[in-house]
Amino acid sequence: MAIIGAAPIAAPGWTANKETGVRIVDCDVHHSFESAEQLLPYLSKFYQEHLYDQGVHFAGGGYPNTPLRKTRNDLKDPGLKRRDFNFTLEFTQRELLDPWNIDVALLTGSPSDIYGAAGLPDPDYGAALCRAFNDYTIEHWLERDERVVHAILVAPTDPAQAVAEINRLAGRRDSVAVHVPLSTALPFGNRFHDPIWEACAEHGLPVVSHIGGGGPSGNTMTPVGYPTYYMETRMARPAAASAQAASLICEGVFEKFPTLQFAFIEVQQLWAVSVMWHMDFDWKAIRDQTPWLKRLPSEYFRDHIRVGTQPMHEPERPEQLPWMLDMLHADETLIFCSDFPHFDQNDPVTVLPGISDHMRRRIFSENALEMLRMPEA
Amino acid sequence: MAGANGRARRVVVGKAWEFPVGGRKLIVPFRGRAGIGVFNVGGTLYALRNICPHNLGPLCTGHVSGRFVASGPPSSEGATLTMDRDGEILRCPWHNWAFDITDGSCLGDPNLRVKTYPVSVEGDDVVVSYADE
Repeated sequence: MAIIGAAPIAAPGWTANKETGVRIVDCDVHHSFESAEQLLPYLSKFYQEHLYDQGVHFAGGGYPNTPLRKTRNDLKDPGLKRRDFNFTLEFTQRELLDPWNIDVALLTGSPSDIYGAAGLPDPDYGAALCRAFNDYTIEHWLERDERVVHAILVAPTDPAQAVAEINRLAGRRDSVAVHVPLSTALPFGNRFHDPIWEACAEHGLPVVSHIGGGGPSGNTMTPVGYPTYYMETRMARPAAASAQAASLICEGVFEKFPTLQFAFIEVQQLWAVSVMWHMDFDWKAIRDQTPWLKRLPSEYFRDHIRVGTQPMHEPERPEQLPWMLDMLHADETLIFCSDFPHFDQNDPVTVLPGISDHMRRRIFSENALEMLRMPEA
Repeated sequence: MAGANGRARRVVVGKAWEFPVGGRKLIVPFRGRAGIGVFNVGGTLYALRNICPHNLGPLCTGHVSGRFVASGPPSSEGATLTMDRDGEILRCPWHNWAFDITDGSCLGDPNLRVKTYPVSVEGDDVVVSYADE
């Protein structure tokens, strides 16, 4: 494979030392398959035929008009034969894990290739594809590198099958989260999803939710309809995350499942400040409508919801960065996400310039390890 | 009720029969044009300043009701939704912030309280006291 990967500059000096350095936990490492044929060994005959019959065209996966065909130009086929190269562990080791000293890489799948399975109109086919993708991930990635862990991909369209898949894999050391893509037919707090959250809580697995997965257009739906261009759809993601967070809090999901945690990935950050401030403000006025909430909404948020760094806001003036992190309670809520190998990736050297050692340790390491229940990592 | 540099003031705000159980009377003016509200909750009288500590709304003209209590989210097993303390909770007409008539505390914000005044019944007279500082 002829890749002319631009060698990254040296990994940051504050990493690499497992005893004294800050360990880097990357909560958004995209991986995929080279061909959907790689899923065949993990599908029943029935669904193998589906795959040959229908192909892999999951419109709901999102990202229909991503620039640079979504991937760094130095890491992809200049022609159109292949969309990405992140379908082998070796590629990810060579281009991400080794040069950047990533200690824990949470595999999140690939939006355009598989997230759409989570929102397929046929929930049984969706569940079968998710199951197959998990098995492919285990065999070709997890069992070959201890740094690599994954979030169990499930389709929320049939909670019973999602629960069965969680139960099947939760005992694995490297199944450290459950992935429900962010775009859904019903908001996360709706009781329809409760069985999934209950299974996550029982197994101590957080829910990691990357943007994408539902809706007929593939571009994140907004309250005013479907956006046209990629930049538009990115502006809609904070609204999607806000809606899911508000739904989880208002419906009392965290009263029902007090240990459950969620991480919202690739949705930017300042929406979280807005949700915390605005919900606290509203709760003081209209708390009678949700009397099952025992605490301020922001307290539920800080205990239960995490937000990924990528794409990280870059404030207008450098001195605004610490203010933003303070407003976010970033030492509790923010987790490092590279989004490798996409064109808009973050790297640990440049993503949060000049932050304090404490903040760095929390964002790059501890917040994620606590969420993933990986104290020994 | 005298402050360190003040002395107690007593104001007769009405006759006892003007304050039936569950009723209220606005006394305007009372130490300023906003006045106070005097409430009879279960036979005990309470006086609150008619200025909401949130955004200065006319608190004492608001809806009097109870406190909503849930044992859990409605979709959780065996959840009960009830209202208790009926008649003891006052909601400001401007932003709906709720206050406990019996002590002035704000239900949604432990750091907030509306000013209260001692009320006594002396013969037929209802008397509200304050410190003249």
